[in-house]
Amino acid sequence: MQTLREFTRKTKRGNILKIVREHYLRDDIGCGSDICQHCFQNDVYALTADHDLQSSLFKYPHYLVLDTNVVLDQIDVLEEDVLRNVIILTTVLNEVKHKSSSIYKRINEIIHDRRRNFYVFVNEHHKDTYADREPDETANDRNDRAIRIATKWYDNHLKSSQVSKSFQRSGRQVTRVVLLTDDAGNRAKAEAEDILVATASEYVKSLSDHPLLADKLSHKTFANEKQALPQYPPHLSLREILEGLKQKKLLQGSFQASRENYLEGNVNVEQYEKGILIQGRESLNRAVDGDIVAIELLPQSEWSAPSEIVLEEKNVYADDLPSEERTEEEKVMLQQVRAAAVVDAERTPTGRIVGIVRRKWRQYCGILQPSLIEDTSRHIFVPADRKIPRIRIETRQAATLQNQRIIVTIDNWPRNSRYPHGHFVRSLGPLGDMNTENEVILLEHDVPHCKFSEEVLSFLPKMPWTITPEDYAKRVDLRDLYICSVDPPGCTDIDDALHCRELENGNLEVGVHIADVSHFIRPGNALDKEAAARGTTVYLVGKRIDMVPELLSSNLCSLVGGVERFAFSCVWEMDKEANIIKKRFHKSVIKSKRAMTYEEAQVLIDDSTQDNEIAKSLRHLNRLAKILKKRRMDNGALVLASPEIRFQVDSETHEPLEVEVKQLRDTNSMVEEFMLLANISVAEHIAAEFSECAVLRRHPKPPTTNFDPLIKAARYQGFEIETETGLSLSHSLDKCVKADNPYFNTMIRILTTRCMMQAVYFISGSLQKEEFFHYGLAAPIYTHFTSPIRRYSDIMVHRLLAASIGADSTYAQLLERKSNEELCHNLNYRHKMAQYAGRASVGLNTHLFFRGKEEDEEGYVLFVRKNALQVLIPKYGLEGTLYLKTDKDGKDGHERAKSTVVFTFSEEDHTQRCGNVVFHSFDPVTVRLSLDSSNVQHEKLVFRLVKPYIKGFSVETGSESAADVAAPPPTKKTKKNQKKK
Amino acid sequence: MAGRFELLSEQGLRLDGRRPHELRHIKCKMGVFEQPDGSAYMEQGNTKVLAAVYGPHQAKGKKTETNDVIINCQYSQATFSTSERKNRPRGDRKSQEFKMYLQQALSAAIKSELYPRSQIDVYVEVLQADGANYAVSLNAATLALIDAGICLNEFVVACTASLSKSNIPLTDISNIEEVSGGPKLTVAALPTAEKIAFLEMSERFHIDHLETVIETAMAGCREIRDILEAAVKEHLIHIGSAADWGRVC
Amino acid sequence: MAYVALSEAEKTFILHGVEEDYRCDGRSRRDYRPMELETGLVSNASGSARLRLANTDILVGVKTEIDVPHQLTPEFGKLEFFVDCSANATPEFEGRGGSDLAQELILSLKNAYESPFAFDYRSLCLIPGQQCWKLYIDILILECGGNLYDAVSLAAKAALFNTKLPRVTATLLDAGITDLIISDNPYDCTRIGIETVPLLVTVCKIGDFCLVDPSAEEEACSTVSMVVAVSQRNNEAFLSGTHMTGGGSMHRDTMLNCLQLGLSIGDYLDKLLVKMLKQEQERVGPKRPKIVGFLK
Repeated sequence: MQTLREFTRKTKRGNILKIVREHYLRDDIGCGSDICQHCFQNDVYALTADHDLQSSLFKYPHYLVLDTNVVLDQIDVLEEDVLRNVIILTTVLNEVKHKSSSIYKRINEIIHDRRRNFYVFVNEHHKDTYADREPDETANDRNDRAIRIATKWYDNHLKSSQVSKSFQRSGRQVTRVVLLTDDAGNRAKAEAEDILVATASEYVKSLSDHPLLADKLSHKTFANEKQALPQYPPHLSLREILEGLKQKKLLQGSFQASRENYLEGNVNVEQYEKGILIQGRESLNRAVDGDIVAIELLPQSEWSAPSEIVLEEKNVYADDLPSEERTEEEKVMLQQVRAAAVVDAERTPTGRIVGIVRRKWRQYCGILQPSLIEDTSRHIFVPADRKIPRIRIETRQAATLQNQRIIVTIDNWPRNSRYPHGHFVRSLGPLGDMNTENEVILLEHDVPHCKFSEEVLSFLPKMPWTITPEDYAKRVDLRDLYICSVDPPGCTDIDDALHCRELENGNLEVGVHIADVSHFIRPGNALDKEAAARGTTVYLVGKRIDMVPELLSSNLCSLVGGVERFAFSCVWEMDKEANIIKKRFHKSVIKSKRAMTYEEAQVLIDDSTQDNEIAKSLRHLNRLAKILKKRRMDNGALVLASPEIRFQVDSETHEPLEVEVKQLRDTNSMVEEFMLLANISVAEHIAAEFSECAVLRRHPKPPTTNFDPLIKAARYQGFEIETETGLSLSHSLDKCVKADNPYFNTMIRILTTRCMMQAVYFISGSLQKEEFFHYGLAAPIYTHFTSPIRRYSDIMVHRLLAASIGADSTYAQLLERKSNEELCHNLNYRHKMAQYAGRASVGLNTHLFFRGKEEDEEGYVLFVRKNALQVLIPKYGLEGTLYLKTDKDGKDGHERAKSTVVFTFSEEDHTQRCGNVVFHSFDPVTVRLSLDSSNVQHEKLVFRLVKPYIKGFSVETGSESAADVAAPPPTKKTKKNQKKK
Repeated sequence: MAGRFELLSEQGLRLDGRRPHELRHIKCKMGVFEQPDGSAYMEQGNTKVLAAVYGPHQAKGKKTETNDVIINCQYSQATFSTSERKNRPRGDRKSQEFKMYLQQALSAAIKSELYPRSQIDVYVEVLQADGANYAVSLNAATLALIDAGICLNEFVVACTASLSKSNIPLTDISNIEEVSGGPKLTVAALPTAEKIAFLEMSERFHIDHLETVIETAMAGCREIRDILEAAVKEHLIHIGSAADWGRVC
Repeated sequence: MAYVALSEAEKTFILHGVEEDYRCDGRSRRDYRPMELETGLVSNASGSARLRLANTDILVGVKTEIDVPHQLTPEFGKLEFFVDCSANATPEFEGRGGSDLAQELILSLKNAYESPFAFDYRSLCLIPGQQCWKLYIDILILECGGNLYDAVSLAAKAALFNTKLPRVTATLLDAGITDLIISDNPYDCTRIGIETVPLLVTVCKIGDFCLVDPSAEEEACSTVSMVVAVSQRNNEAFLSGTHMTGGGSMHRDTMLNCLQLGLSIGDYLDKLLVKMLKQEQERVGPKRPKIVGFLK
């Protein structure tokens, strides 16, 4: 059977087209139930006859059909492994796909989980369930009708299989079909059509065995707020917004809440470089960080300036009604800000949010705020991310959730509620527990970290794994070479090894041998897909989230000493001046003679008594590396610095014992040089072989404005930074040396690093050759080849290289530009997130390290801000803010009166002055570090000034200071700590 | 190679509800017009084509110089055949290309030795275009040739095939599947002899899949051949019933 | 036009038949041959019709576009005719072979539709001076069995009757710029008023007599014809255009007779067509009808 679907569509050029599509209706679509005796079952995910879910509403076995609104709103309930035997109609699936891609993804995951017995019924193509659109019927009504038709059909269809005598004799109950819908209209119609129907919440609450499931229901309203007065202006409808945008009365942009001030935010709008400021609760109008919002620009006379005030919301309780008093408080703050702004004449475009274009709500980590009332089910959830407002939730398990990190999602935010409404999703574990905290970091950075699935593991080689004669035949045998690896201590995923030997003609042969991961991960299988999705291995302190299963990362692929391993080798013939004479790539079998740490290798090189092959080879390598490095520097490669630290972690408790800055030795640089060389050689090769689809990495030159802060900072110190080319920048950085401040150059380089752009992967066909440039390395072309165990990009490069030299088979996706581009996109995202996660982990461990400790440390002022000094502690590679009190500091007039210390900020030379003490950038200071744990979610390192000593401000080197830390006030913590001094 | 959209749902159905190996609905009729020597109408889903054959007749003009049969084709597409109106029915590059391809495929099928110094005109008019325009045109032309009583070696039929993102070959692709960016392979074949008279491919996919995609298109050709054969028999029974031909077929 | 080879004797036979008011196929001079009409068979056109008048086969598709009204007539929509003579009809039409005939047909249709009384151009205007519908009436001649003008005009009128324009609402933006919003309901559409839409009637002079609906053979015997465009207004038939075709000439009185005949036949034909179309529409209702097309 066949029918036509007709619709009209507007083209980009404003034309209106009539589109006609064929639509086939079939009679071979199975119902997916094992009760059925009629259908041809073409799927394995069958609905079963067993039914163990007890519902007080439907006291017989039943299947569920979900309406679109139930899938969209109650996805958290669905994700819980309770509901089974659920029929998902394609009508619903299409609507969900259209409305929310993230929920579409989640429902698909549930459907794919065979244990859940979710069955997708293609009702749109079934001859008995297709609903042609009636005249005067909206698209929505038609879909609702299609859902009802399908439910009805299912019920009758199953009944027809359950009327036989033998079935009746078996004494089993007849399985029925129940429609869950939250749409009152659809429900009423369904009831009229004799369909069993319930709302999601009725149904969930009727499940006697799963009382806690109700916590996960999405709530549209809370009983006690129904009568409450609106607190926010109404949002415009989507249509009004679109019209407003077209008429240019409104602007659209993504909303970014301020981290410091909960009553302030910024909307990034294309035409406005700095975005548009939003201040005050009513102007923010229920926007949550990340939402795409429509804003109205205020007249210029009402423009304001960013407050630069840290304002944190005070604790409120779930049963509080919004008090007038608090609103007063906000008004005061706003007035102050505006008044200040007028004086400052630093006003920026300010607006107010009038509508939401698209919500970008996600799941949020956080904790439950202790409730004042016992036995209440209404609670306030405090997200870890300060940009997210508190969320009102309903849960019956508050007692157990107290002191746990939990995940909550927002359902909606009605006008009459101060906070958004949400529901509990799941608990991550007890607060402060290392595992919980790591979990939070991984979740917040969207790092896929669940265990590898059975399917993924099934593609691993079977153990015991041996090298077969065919393998030897296909590969170059390098087992006799003196190959060794040099890595940080404790490294188990060794992906590179080196060798160097003298040739008879006096030249040197240098080989870089990279773990042959692509031999084990075959394109397109589940293992490959999982690795591609993860993109990179993520390193947290004391924890590694592998990109590939451990069997590969730490065993079969890892080039450990003394074991035969597969490698992908890049071998050069060089003269003594490190000029490449020949290069070749091949797959090989190697047997690393020794896996060394950087330190061991350094010792071996320096110890002139050692004269074995490895030592000789290392010395050659070291010498060549120095030449290579110099050549690179002369080309304008940048030496950048960012403080990196290492934690010595207790193996039992996983708590940090010791913090140290990572040491750099010659050998680090030696390995790095050869890896760079290999990467560049491979990049040249694959770009030549695959001009359209080579995976490369580029580092764009930053726009000159990026350098402004650096140039300014250096100028105050009397140095000129040239940013014309990489080379001139490199030279001018070299010149920034101060005899009295040995750390000065490093700090300048740290600042330079911050001016840089992010390096990214891309596909050669998507850009012009000139754009391939890698700025930081001063290389015209670059890629990643040397770490396939921990980076998927390297696996892609390996495959390309292997295909180009005929060492491996090609496959369809290899040359597919589009899918490779998508992969690169994902890799770039994963990389960035992995970096952030790593930093967050270091931050977390730094906090743990300082728990209950106080230390005075030498530091430097990195730069001077209006109300604070940014201080860097080289010892820990740590950076923090030392808040100064200035006369504009907040509204706390009472305390200011007591204080006599006044800092004056000089705009001209960026200094802070207090009496005769002047702070310049790069000045050395001594600060006292301690941990402020007043806010369990936001523990924070507090920097307090020790030297130079300013009376009334600096820490007294007495003993009473410890007491302050113990009981800090709940809000405005950092500043108050300082003020009390 | 994979396109922008997934052409095959996880439930194994294509955008219009067909399974991967299924052809669209085919309807055809021979002898729709009086004036041409042979004519046929062919419908493959929403692609609808009229074909008319004039000849064999004496070749005109310069063409008389050769001894071979001249197969003269014209491919034309009604201005309202596509969803966005076409400005002219023929003369554009695409129709020139199709015209040549038609000549190519038909030459392989017509028993040319029987028609020396003659010309056969084959005119194709696409009334509605919804994918596989060339293939349907060729199939209609075959029917029209049979209607005109021109000797063929065998039915020459064409079918298209594509490849879904999950590397499952799809038969007889519709317009929406064509424009979704997937590859498109057109095969014109003499199915019984398993000969390929013409092959064209756009976009690209990996050579590993070529074999299966061609086989899919060939399977489509065989299926279409059976449908055409049945239509010819039906037609003969119909027009020949007066002469008692029905029993012969 | 399609060439028909006739001997002198055949011509005489036809001529005598006309004189006797008993034509070769048994018709009188005022009779039409049987017609078959089907509408809506081209699903991706906004409107379509296929008319088969004996061996004359016409397929019309109406396509729509959004356009800007002409400066001189800001309140009028646009109408454009396009005729394609398919080579299916005769090998003579191959390539550009049919373009002269096509041009002739386009011109006579254009003339007939030119008057705003003959066609309500206002109904095609969306926003005066800014946006209007432009209808393309694409006519495809698939087979020629004589009397193309009449067949083409009948098919065009039926196709216009069948045409559904999606309901469009205009919203006024700032600075006088407007934007169109199309209704998402495929049933929500406007129709075109066809009451006044003209028909063409070819009155063919053979010998001293005038006849309508000439077959291809009769056309070959005629030296001159009169094409009369007839438009209805307030239930009365008016001439909305006329022109002569063919190489011959005719007397003034004959011409007036021709016009008279054309007008009365056109009036009758038009009423019949509209009646049939409306009957069919009522029978089918708003749903999609089953299409027979060329498969009959």
